[in-house]
Amino acid sequence: MSIAPEDLKEFHWVMTMIQHIDVGLVVLNRNYEIQVWNGFMENHSIQTSFHTRGRSLFEVMPDIDEDWFRSKAESVFNLRNRAFTTWEQRPYLFKFKNSRPITGTADFMYQNSTIFPLESTSGEIEYISLLIYDVTDVAVNSLELNQANQRLEKLSQTDLLTGLNNRGYLDQSLEREFKRLKRTKEPASVVIFDIDHFKKVNDNYGHLVGDKVIQLVAKTLMDSQRETDVSGRFGGEEFVILLIGTPADSANFFAERLRKKIEKTVVETPEGDLTFTISLGIAEFDNDIRTSVQWLNRADQALYNSKESGRNKTTIYSK
Amino acid sequence: MTAGAPITLSEDHRDCFQEITNVAIGQAADVLSRMLNVFIVLPVPNVNILEPSELTMALTAVDENDSVSAICQGFTGGGVAGEAMLIFNDANFSDIAKLAYDHQAYSDELEMEMIMDAGNLLIGACLNGLASQLEIQFSQGQPVVMGRHVHVPELIDTNKSRWTKTLAIEVNFTIENSPVACDMLLLFTEDSISVLKQKADYLLD
Repeated sequence: MSIAPEDLKEFHWVMTMIQHIDVGLVVLNRNYEIQVWNGFMENHSIQTSFHTRGRSLFEVMPDIDEDWFRSKAESVFNLRNRAFTTWEQRPYLFKFKNSRPITGTADFMYQNSTIFPLESTSGEIEYISLLIYDVTDVAVNSLELNQANQRLEKLSQTDLLTGLNNRGYLDQSLEREFKRLKRTKEPASVVIFDIDHFKKVNDNYGHLVGDKVIQLVAKTLMDSQRETDVSGRFGGEEFVILLIGTPADSANFFAERLRKKIEKTVVETPEGDLTFTISLGIAEFDNDIRTSVQWLNRADQALYNSKESGRNKTTIYSK
Repeated sequence: MTAGAPITLSEDHRDCFQEITNVAIGQAADVLSRMLNVFIVLPVPNVNILEPSELTMALTAVDENDSVSAICQGFTGGGVAGEAMLIFNDANFSDIAKLAYDHQAYSDELEMEMIMDAGNLLIGACLNGLASQLEIQFSQGQPVVMGRHVHVPELIDTNKSRWTKTLAIEVNFTIENSPVACDMLLLFTEDSISVLKQKADYLLD
């Protein structure tokens, strides 16, 4: 059989196109032996088509997760379906370097891939074709956006001076826990406290020392609480801790320990050593409380009693 | 399409689309039952013309409900274009994992793997079935896992003005003696509807 020169010409430019297209193109037979390996694959794998032809894909590219790839490819052979994989499922099928090796931020090429069946003239599926798309830019942008959103979310919940949770996040947590407690009825207590005569610290030592005092209190609080407790800076020199699974007497134990720790804390200033104290109020969760705000108000009333009766002490709310 | 002309479906057309889908999902169910070694309960597909607001509601429900995952994939060919959507209840995943991936511990990666595999199989088989009956061939785009790649309300907002009406075919797959279920929506664009009607007329003759 002779081939017309026109057909040969067409065959030539189709092959040139396949060779140069910026998408990885691989054809495999039933035994996963490579039949086609285009220019994209040659250049990124640094293995020539001449060298790879007829060899097993898993031998040429030992990084491929063989079981995983076989399970996808077998369904294409058997069910004649197209199979798609995304970079979010697996970052890549072939471990290639970033196609922008100098300015790219990812170490490797993120890939989407499509596997589709190639029907022979007799209708059998003897070959499958594999398309590899370089989606590094999309993947990196998407991942960076996610990270940025997470940072923003964290930032929007954090009090910048102390690193504690801020008022907004504290209110949300309190509301969420309150609803949960209404259902579970397990014990829990809210502790609210503030620094005694804080205005005098600011007036006598300056705002920088004032800030340092607040930071020290925050640090002491963070060191004292359990992982499950939620705490935060409620306002100027006011702090709140939500103690989960803790009745009032245990909360009192926690509060007293915190009070004594802070009493012993010394801040060195140019004007000499500074010590300070805190007053605390505790309110235990009670099913007759209607809102999280009311719960916090009870703790606030207890705090007021501590202040009224001499400061540097803890009071538990009682009806 | 002349402006304002209402798009409706005659009973004949509705029946015809339902029948074509029946054949296609039969093939898809066959594929799935062979993969999982289970019996798939064959549902009766629901064929409807949807207003954008109705579709928006359905999609927003997917987004608002944390325990629902969805994958969607665009297809086009022979003047027929649309998107296939597969919606899972997340409570199902551990059951699906038991059926199909018994050797693996349940994880986020496995969940992604399951969504993609189910999408490849069900959407692929359904589209193949539709295409062969309609004598067209579909190009399929890369599938997108909703809520991971995209935030659904944004997707709807930016497209609001472009949407008009859509032909929706809904299929609910269930597995016998198992709580596993998923919903498949085949959504066709407004300009595909007349092409589909022509194809249906040809089949009805």
